[in-house]
Formats: sequence, structure tokens, C-alpha cells
Amino acid sequence: MFTRNAFLFGYNKKRRFIARELEKEPLNLILVVDDEESYNQAKEDGFREVIFIDLTDDELLENLKINDDDYLVCVMSNHYMNVFLTLSLHSIFPKAIILALSDSPHTTQKLKMAGASRIIDLYQVSANRIHNMLHKPVATKLIERLFSPEEEFSFKEIEIPKGSSLDHIMVDDFDFSKHNVILIGMIDKRLSHQFIFSTSGLENRFDVGDTLVCIGCNEDLERFQAFIGA
Amino acid sequence: MLKKLLTQFAFFLHTSKFYNRSKKRASDFLLNSDYLYKKYFDIFMILLIISSVAILVYEVKNPVPVWVDFFDIYLVTTIFSLEYLARIWVHNCWHSEVVREYGDAKFLNKKFNLWSPTKKILRGKLSYMASPTAIIDLLAILPAYRPLRVLRIFVLFRVFKLLRYTKSINQFLGVLGSKKFELYTLLFLLVFITVTAGIAIYVFEEKSNDNINSLFDALYWALITISTVGYGDISPVTSEGRVVSMLIIITGIAMISFVTSVIVSSFSEKLTELKENRLVEEINKEEDFMIICGYGQMTRMFLRHYEHEYAKRYIIIEKDKERVDEAIKEGYRAIHEDASRYDVIAKFNTDHAQVTLLALTNSDVANIYITLNAKAISKNIRVISRSSSERIAKKSRLAGADSVVMPSLIANRMLFAAITQPVMYKAVYAILTGQHLAQLDEVNSVYHQKMVGKSIKELRLKEQKLLPIGYESANNRAFIFNPSLDYKIEEGDILLLMGRHVSIEHFKKTYEEIGYVHA
Repeated sequence: MFTRNAFLFGYNKKRRFIARELEKEPLNLILVVDDEESYNQAKEDGFREVIFIDLTDDELLENLKINDDDYLVCVMSNHYMNVFLTLSLHSIFPKAIILALSDSPHTTQKLKMAGASRIIDLYQVSANRIHNMLHKPVATKLIERLFSPEEEFSFKEIEIPKGSSLDHIMVDDFDFSKHNVILIGMIDKRLSHQFIFSTSGLENRFDVGDTLVCIGCNEDLERFQAFIGA
Repeated sequence: MLKKLLTQFAFFLHTSKFYNRSKKRASDFLLNSDYLYKKYFDIFMILLIISSVAILVYEVKNPVPVWVDFFDIYLVTTIFSLEYLARIWVHNCWHSEVVREYGDAKFLNKKFNLWSPTKKILRGKLSYMASPTAIIDLLAILPAYRPLRVLRIFVLFRVFKLLRYTKSINQFLGVLGSKKFELYTLLFLLVFITVTAGIAIYVFEEKSNDNINSLFDALYWALITISTVGYGDISPVTSEGRVVSMLIIITGIAMISFVTSVIVSSFSEKLTELKENRLVEEINKEEDFMIICGYGQMTRMFLRHYEHEYAKRYIIIEKDKERVDEAIKEGYRAIHEDASRYDVIAKFNTDHAQVTLLALTNSDVANIYITLNAKAISKNIRVISRSSSERIAKKSRLAGADSVVMPSLIANRMLFAAITQPVMYKAVYAILTGQHLAQLDEVNSVYHQKMVGKSIKELRLKEQKLLPIGYESANNRAFIFNPSLDYKIEEGDILLLMGRHVSIEHFKKTYEEIGYVHA
């Protein structure tokens, strides 16, 4: 058992990918559905923890044993229900991180008002993708490779651990190319909790607890992670 | 002997590249409204006509210089004559017909008769010469014949020639053409009533009315009255005549309102079609444009964010009339058509322009069909198709789609990244949505020649706060990640950089120089 839970509200064939990928992560995945068909489908697809409840009932939601740092992912196919559920979850668990899927700018706005921490607009990301395909085909291909789990390239978040060789080193003084990884940016805890792109021109220093975002081959990334002692 | 020579000549023409190319070019200039340079030819002809008519009007009261007369008689007339002959020339093709019939005769072991195809072609050319537009063309040449001053008035036929070169007038006539039956019926009724009323007034008033001396006077009066113009130069004096007047005035009013309503209704029926044709014509003039099939949530989102970048270089094709109206209401350029039909996509200029087609309807089957349709028309059309799953995506690629977009997959991956790597998600989201803080952009060495031959180190990217992510090699189009600082950019390489919008734009400007674009 892991310490963190991810609750996925809503399940269908289209959401099978996200459920499968989440299952591989160090999280306890719990599927919560409100109809029999989804319940049967989820069971058929081999998910162990599937809960079938009436999602409009706050009492039942309260009984779900949701902790403050759990992920609540609202992907109901009915968008009215998705907004309603986000609102209910936010009122019951104000500290939990709620992620939601939207299909229009109007829904996005409503989800934001309802308290979702992060909203992914299904069509906006696709529209961006089409635009990028037309204008930046090489960049789009790379991003696609970075995102696809089968590819050797990826993004990685690495936190600088205690006793790391990177501690107290200025960003400019460290040669990432030696490790064949590229530093995209970081969160410099000393300065703020904002993400800073490495091209923004600020002079940062690596310290314990900072989070780096790097891209590279999976092997190189792992080797680099080992090098800095993470 | 002559027959043999002529047949040989026909074969020579048939195989002569120069002759066929010339004829094709002439036909493009005269008839092909999609031809890029036709509009310049049309403008030139319109200017000639205007100058000719201006000379006619000026001449009435003022003496004109000799050179103006020379210009009017020789130059304008020569050009009009050449145009007239060229139109007869391109109307049909003698050599093709001869070659075809010769082939048929040989195949059937029959004796070849040269007169048969020649007769067919001559008949075609004669029937063209008898058409109203060709007659106008011919009459427009006549004013050059100076001994007969009356022929000067034929300069006005040059004004009629304008019809040829202005599309809107042609479209107006086309619309009226669609109501031929109604208009002919009305015309017949008008002639019938005018003649009947004219005869009636002639019979009633010929003796008592001083102004009516002939049947022509009576008919003239009838037409002036029925049209509600009523000059008043002739008016009935007997009671019978006045009754006839009253009757035809009422008929006249009814008829005028009927004609107006027929014309207005035919316009409102055709207006959408005309507007849509205009849109297609406009877009066909662009060198590169986009056809978006389907107006759903995805298209809406795409246009909301990027319409300004495509300005007038896109068109939406939607099958559902309600959605088309919705798109037009939003201010988008949409037409009501079915993108899966061959003729719908074929009317776009796919030969000369770079066309991108987005198949974004919410039906996978329709998207695949649209992809196949577009690829069947031209392999040059770049197709980006939407699909709901990996299986469908595979089929789309088989159908020829150059790229496939899977909204649910992209959203799933983003969602997954947002859960598992939230910091990275923010970074990627900023990059993906092209925020000014950080962009991932590519610099093509073909358009930025100055960087060719320079090493990455020499480009001094770090100083400009740019991060080289990699490059796509010109040799095998493979992507090389994290290039070494010593790598020298080759022509055709595409460099991938990350940085702020200003840095990237500055870099592009510094190295901008367009080189030879390899096919």
C-alpha cells in the first residue's frame, strides 16, 4: 500500500488509458463510478478497487476516506455532473488537489469556479496541437515523443536530495550536456515556489529541496538522477 | 493528297507541345476563372473598353487628336479582333477531333472521312459565333469602319463586352436565368396585353384622337401606360379609351410587382450560393490555405485561438445547415457543403496552392472518408485527421492522413502528467500553449541561411538566453537531441530552440536569409 491515493471519478473506454497509467504509479488507484455499466466495465478491465455510489450524495462522498494530499480526478462523461462533483468535493475536502477534464471554455470557467486546481480542456489542447503541427512540426514531434510512454525520451522532475553533489552550485557553472540531459527549468525554493525556465536569464543556485525539470533519454535521466544522489 | 496532308497536319498539331501549350494558355486567359493571371487580362480589357467609350463621348463636342483616333481605330480594334479570333480558336479543337475519328476509323477498318470531323468543328465554331456574347464581340469591332459614321454607336457594344470581364454581372444574369420560365411568361403576358390594348385604343381613337395616327402610336402609348411611366404626350380622349387605360394601368402595376418579386425571390434563393462561391474563389487566390471540415467544439476552439493567424486563409465546410449559420454568426468563413463529396473538394485550387485539410468532424468514419476523398483529389493536400482511438488513428494513417490528432489521448496524457509530475506539467503547458515566457520553436536553415556553416557554439545561444534542444538533420530527417557545441549547421537542418518569445524572434531576425528551397 502507498501513502497517497488517486480517486478517479468516472470511468469509460476513453479513460482506460489514464487509469492504466495511474495504476503504474506509486499511488493507490480507486475508481469511483455512479452507474452499473461503468462499474462492470472497470471490473472487466481488471481494476480491483472500484466503488459504485451515488455521487450526488455528500454523505457517501464523505465516507470515501479522502486525505488532504490525495488526488481527485473528475472525468465524468456528463459535464454537468463533473462540475457538480467538483463543487461537492471541493466543499467537503477543501485541501485536496482536484483535477478535472473539460470540453469547452464555459465548462472550464465553471470548473475553475467550482474549485478545480487544474483543468484540462480536451479541445483546447487538441487545437493547440493542430496549430503546432502546422507551424512547428519538429517541436510537436518531440513533444509527442516526450509524452508517449513507449518512447525513450521523457520529461522528468527531480528533487535535489540532501547531500547531493549539486547543492550550492550555480546553475551556470554546471555542465548538463556532459550528462546528455537538458535542464528546462526549476523551482528555486530559496527564491519562490514559482517555476523558472532556464532561459529566463535569472542566476539561480541549486539547493537541497529544489525541483529540476529535465528532458533526455530515460537512461540518461536515470543516470543523472543517480549522479546527483536522488 | 490534300486530305492526307491535312490529316498529317492534324497529327502534327496534336503532338506539338508548343501549339497545345499556347492554346491552353490562351484558353486560360480567356475562359479559366481560376487562372491566376486572368484577372490582369480582364482588367486590361476593361480599361480598353472604358477608354474607347470615353473617346466616343468626348468626340461628340470636341475634336480629338490624331493619335487618339489612331489608338481607338487600330490598337483597340486590333486587340478586340485578336480576342474575337482567339475565342473562336479555343472554342473547340479540330486536331483532336480528327485524330479521334481517324483512330476510330482505323479501329473499325473503315475509310476515314476528313470532312466529318471538320464539319463537326465548323458547326461548333459557327454556333459559338451565333451566340449573343460572340455577336457582341463582333459588333464591338465594327466601329472601326469609319466611312459609316452610324457604326460609331456600336462602340456601346464595347460596354456590353464588359459583361464578359465582370463576374458580378454574369452572376446577376445567371440568377435571372434560373427564373427563365417566370420571366418569359411575364414577357409574353406583357406583349399580349400591350398589343391587345394598343389595337383597342387604335380602333377606338384613331379617328377622334389627333395624337394617334398609326398602330405604332397606339402600341407606344400602351407600353408607356402599362409600364406606369405615362409621358402624357398621348392620352385617351374617348370614354372607351379611358376604360382601356384604367385596365392596363391596373395590370401594369400588378405585373411590375410580380416581376420585382420574381427577381427578389430568385436572388434570396441564390444569395447563399453566390456568397459561398465567392468565398471559394477568394480562397483559391491564396498561395496556401486551410480547409476545415466540420464545425464542432474542436474547430471552434481552434479558430478562437488561432483565427487571427490564418486571417482569410481558411474555410469551414459543414454539412449541417444550423452549424453553418452558427459559424457565420460567430464571424467565421463557412460554407454549407459535404466535404466527403469529390466535387466539393475538387473545386479548390489544389494544384497551385499549398492546401491543408483538417478533418475534425465528430465522426471517425466521416473523417476517414474525408481523408480518402482529399487524397484521391491530390496527394499534395496535407491532411490532419481527428480520431477517437489508436485503432481509428491507424486506419486514418492508412487512408493517407499526414498527421492524426486524438483529443482524448492528448487530454489523458496531460491529465496523467498533471497528477504525476505537476511541476513539469506547468512547464510543458506553458511551452505547449506558446506562452511568451517559454516557447519551443524551430528555425529552418533554409529560411535562415546565415546560420549555415556555423557551429552551435558560434551561434552564441546562451548569450541570447536560448536553449538548443536539438535539430532535425537535413540528411535523413532524424532528430538529434542535445547536439554537441561543435556541430556545424547544414543547409536544410531545422534547429529546435527553447526560450522567451523575444529571444527567439531576435535570433530569427539575425539569421534570416532565404535560400534555395529544395523540392
